Amino acid sequence: MSSCHCLMIRVFQCEDTLTGILTGVYDAWDSRLGHEHVRLETGAYEDMELFCEYVQVPPDLDKAGKVLRTIRTRLGEEAYEMIAYASACPHTRKADAIYRMIVLGLRLPDGREISRMLTQPDVQLVFELRRKAWHIAHRYMGFVRFQELGNGVLFSKIDAEVDVLALIAPHFADRLPLENWMIYDRRRQKAAVHPAQKGWVILEEVEEKVLSEFENSEKETYYDGLWKVFHRAVGIASRSNERLQMSFLPKKFRHFMNEFADSRES
Amino acid sequence: MNYHIEQQMNLSQKLEILADAAKYDVACTSSGVDRKNSGKGIGNCITPGICHSFSADGRCISLLKILFTNECIFDCRYCINRRSNDVPRASFTPQEVCDLTIEFYRRNYIEGLFLSSGILGSPDMTMDLLYQTLYKLRTEYHFQGYIHVKAIPGADPELIARTGYLADRMSVNLELPTAEGLNALAPQKKRPKLLAPIRQVRQMRMQNKNELALYRHAPKFVPAGQSTQMIIGATGESDWQIMKVAEHMYKKYEMKRVFYSAFLRVNDDSLLPVLPGGPPLLREHRLYQADWLLRYYGFGTDELLSEEKPDFNLLLDPKCDWALRHLEQFPIEVMRADYHTLLRVPGIGYRAASRIVKARRLGTLDYANLKKMGVVLKRAIFFITCGGKQMYPVKLEEDYILRNILDGKERLRPGAGEQPVYEQLSLFDDPRFSV
Repeated sequence: MSSCHCLMIRVFQCEDTLTGILTGVYDAWDSRLGHEHVRLETGAYEDMELFCEYVQVPPDLDKAGKVLRTIRTRLGEEAYEMIAYASACPHTRKADAIYRMIVLGLRLPDGREISRMLTQPDVQLVFELRRKAWHIAHRYMGFVRFQELGNGVLFSKIDAEVDVLALIAPHFADRLPLENWMIYDRRRQKAAVHPAQKGWVILEEVEEKVLSEFENSEKETYYDGLWKVFHRAVGIASRSNERLQMSFLPKKFRHFMNEFADSRES
Repeated sequence: MNYHIEQQMNLSQKLEILADAAKYDVACTSSGVDRKNSGKGIGNCITPGICHSFSADGRCISLLKILFTNECIFDCRYCINRRSNDVPRASFTPQEVCDLTIEFYRRNYIEGLFLSSGILGSPDMTMDLLYQTLYKLRTEYHFQGYIHVKAIPGADPELIARTGYLADRMSVNLELPTAEGLNALAPQKKRPKLLAPIRQVRQMRMQNKNELALYRHAPKFVPAGQSTQMIIGATGESDWQIMKVAEHMYKKYEMKRVFYSAFLRVNDDSLLPVLPGGPPLLREHRLYQADWLLRYYGFGTDELLSEEKPDFNLLLDPKCDWALRHLEQFPIEVMRADYHTLLRVPGIGYRAASRIVKARRLGTLDYANLKKMGVVLKRAIFFITCGGKQMYPVKLEEDYILRNILDGKERLRPGAGEQPVYEQLSLFDDPRFSV
């Protein structure tokens, strides 16, 4: 029995969110099987392995909160930011890497060093994912395009490969505190909603159909047109360089950007 | 100045004319300030800046870059808006600029405003209009986004000072690297006159620093610093002269950035050079690379160039070029060399260098680690050892390294210049030989 136990690996399948992953970290640690006998995964995979026992982990705010506090106090803000950003990136190994990074960090005399241990493959992966998520979030801070609806609400749609909503919402909440605005992530059917002078929230399971019922305000076409005029006028024809433009602003970002709307249709 | 276009122009036409007229200004950065919203207005700034779009020439669009007016009284030969050119003229009102800025900003099209101007009437009058616009934006609309404004040379210092308290960045364009060039192409602009506002802004920034040390909430004067730009290739300056000027601007005037703009022949003027190969984009690229070496890598102009070797090698980036001429300082041991020595290795940037310094305290590095940290190994391997070992047995010889680096193809940004074309040598290739 005991030898069999040694071979077995318990796989904790957590939800693909920060809360989900941190709950998984809590449960995996709490199982007391030893770190080499547990593994974390996000989402359900079709090809299951032999000698593995699969456990579903329902996200739990209490457990995640405890882990979060430990990370912030023992591993520092830098590590916390790395983990928060990395968890937004789609990657099969990210949950496990986050777990290993936390385990390793808590073993160090000074846990804050963990964010700099780039020679460790797990830390390296979290570091890379954080960088990727930050890059994409930063780009969306620029590439989000709001439309003014008839009721004065600023509305924007995105289709991001990384779950950026929670990463960019604080930025827009600070930037436009007096506006009612909403950013809708079409791929995840989530929306960040900000009522004027209040905090922002994330709404889950918002259907796109519900949102398409609103009409734009009267001024919207006017300013939309002015922006297109500006965008065209500011390019220098004799330095024209579409490849450079494409490398900075790949097509995947252009879908909801109004200045590229015409070229898409033609 | 009386040749106004008859009919009243609408905002769209004005925007088209004045954005088109402003496009030759290079600076479009929104970096250098970190400002949270006060909760009562619109806008904030983050230190790295944000690009909101990219124009067809591949340049970042971060700010609403416009001229306030292109009805200019000057006649600079390189400028599309020179008085003697027959181009449509227009002027905004402060209200129109405010409307455009706020409405674009709300829709997240832009990060702020870049307001430049031709000289309308007199420098004082122009500066006053710019001031009024900024005042309206900041106080009436409580706009807290980024504002980059031009200081108009020759304007009353008081006006420039007041505007500086409203703006994030101010700039005066040097236009041409040397006073002789300026005399030839822009006789109405005088070098000392251009430098006066630059000097004033620098001085006021120093005072402001002391004020801020005393009173944390004192109003900030030009918090994102100054910048300037020079046209490259319109007059005969060498890269060495240009870099000397840039270095001087960084050291003496505490410039945040010097921008270089490859000369575009927009006017048909006998004093302007004809460049059959198009604007010197690769040269511009090399100057920017060298500019980074000055600002972030601790290089001096005299290390990179000299009077005997006044121009950059267009085939090699300036750092490689320097390293090849100083092979006696290599190879460098990555595990031991200090940060500043690491910065001098081709293929190691400042981010990679700081990652190396942090990571090697906690473990031994190998070449795979270095690659992950962002070191460009195909250039770096010739100059480094890691744990006492070379990655491959390479020779520390100039010809050998040069051949291999050129073979490896530098990743230039698209359009910055084509790679050299190799062709079969023949006896008659000598340029002095003519049939």
